[in-house]
Amino acid sequence: MVDSDLITRAAGGDPAAFQALVERHRSMVYRVAYQFAGNHHDAEDIAQEVFIKIYRSLDGFRQDAQLTSWIYRIVMNACIDHRRRQSPAVSSAFGDDADQTLRNMPEETPGPEERAYAGELGVVLEGAIAKLPPGQRLVFVMRHHQGLKLGEIAEALGLAEGTVKRQLHAAVHRLRDALRATSACPERARGVATGGRV
Amino acid sequence: MTTCAVQTSAAIELYFYDELDASERAFVGQHLRTCRECRAALDELTMIRAALASRSEIAAPPGGDWAPFMARLEAAVARERQRSKVVPITRPRPVDRARLRVRHNLASYVAMAAILTLATTSVVYLARTRGARPPETTTVTTGARPITETPPPTPAAAGSTVIERRAPSSVDTSAAGPERTDAAFASVSEQHFERSKLVVLGLAAKNPSEASAEDWSYERQLASSLLDDTRLYRHAAQERGMKTLAGVLSDLELVLLQASMSDERDRATLERIQRLIRKRDLMTKMNAVTTAGI
Repeated sequence: MVDSDLITRAAGGDPAAFQALVERHRSMVYRVAYQFAGNHHDAEDIAQEVFIKIYRSLDGFRQDAQLTSWIYRIVMNACIDHRRRQSPAVSSAFGDDADQTLRNMPEETPGPEERAYAGELGVVLEGAIAKLPPGQRLVFVMRHHQGLKLGEIAEALGLAEGTVKRQLHAAVHRLRDALRATSACPERARGVATGGRV
Repeated sequence: MTTCAVQTSAAIELYFYDELDASERAFVGQHLRTCRECRAALDELTMIRAALASRSEIAAPPGGDWAPFMARLEAAVARERQRSKVVPITRPRPVDRARLRVRHNLASYVAMAAILTLATTSVVYLARTRGARPPETTTVTTGARPITETPPPTPAAAGSTVIERRAPSSVDTSAAGPERTDAAFASVSEQHFERSKLVVLGLAAKNPSEASAEDWSYERQLASSLLDDTRLYRHAAQERGMKTLAGVLSDLELVLLQASMSDERDRATLERIQRLIRKRDLMTKMNAVTTAGI
């Protein structure tokens, strides 16, 4: 059954249709939520909120609209809402979590040097992403991980495209700083970028 | 330290993420051949992509077990279903006015008094204008850019705000279609405007050189709670063809979004939001719309 049929049936009060809709899209929602929040607890809260919002808005969904764009929009807003509700004490835990992740970084499994180094960098960058201000983090996640165009992000968030562009620029700037701080050995680091060809 | 203007303009990121048009892309591509600094920046972006790609994507709760998640969601949906039986219409969340009264400082009251004066003046002006001119159009000079796309029927001075009035208690600038006034919508959106004014006034009245982050955290919180409803009202206004109202709501939404989403709550951020409020002439527009009647 196609999404639009599921939505129509769910809006008409069919619980099975709504469940099918959730099962179809929950992985995508959870992935974005986790990339934004950096931990399962918050990711689950965000994903719950997204599906409740979807449930509430079933009647308002325009059949000619793109469902995934609609869901992305709800996910982005849920991420921002979730972050907004965090108290200052909790929000600093974003950084603490990232530090904890770094401290608990497992030993890399043996393998090609560059791959191991990319793994290390990945951990460092995930920590750096977790420390980005929420606006920058969301824009980076949606552009880098989800592949949304800046115009789509701007439309979903109700911001000017220039603002989104600046958020991305600032996010990338910080990540490059984190990368440089880690790259004690530039040649080795360059090997990762070029697939091992230094 | 970055010295290349191409890099500081974010063109390298946009090139990397394929966000440039063909001519810009060709320009940056050409530039990359000669600029070592930009090439290094591009390499770093490639490295970031490679490093993040090496991390496993997490797209499910721990252990891939969705059962607790689905059970929790089912319970929440059941509550929603129950609630929708009791309250058929979703209304905006109530504002904790007692708390608001405590938190508002003297400057906010001064600003509110100023707006009240302006509102009174506008009402008197509208009453006089209505008596002296045909009822179709009312012009309110505010020093702001026009808030409707419809050209004013009378030559208005540059920078005047024009509100078309096709009938008392309605603002509808749509093309000559039938008037569609929804009393319930007008009522709740007026209430919403009143609540939103408190945020806009609170932010506008702050002195950035004296206000600390805590001083406007309540406005941020309130902005956050009003954002979703503002969006809903904007959509509703658009659907009803109420272009003026939709335009003002769109400006309001932008301010609320900026206020609630600001990453840094420092002086510069507050100043930026205040500039936005001034640039959009939001207080005057909100006041003019509520004075004219929604």
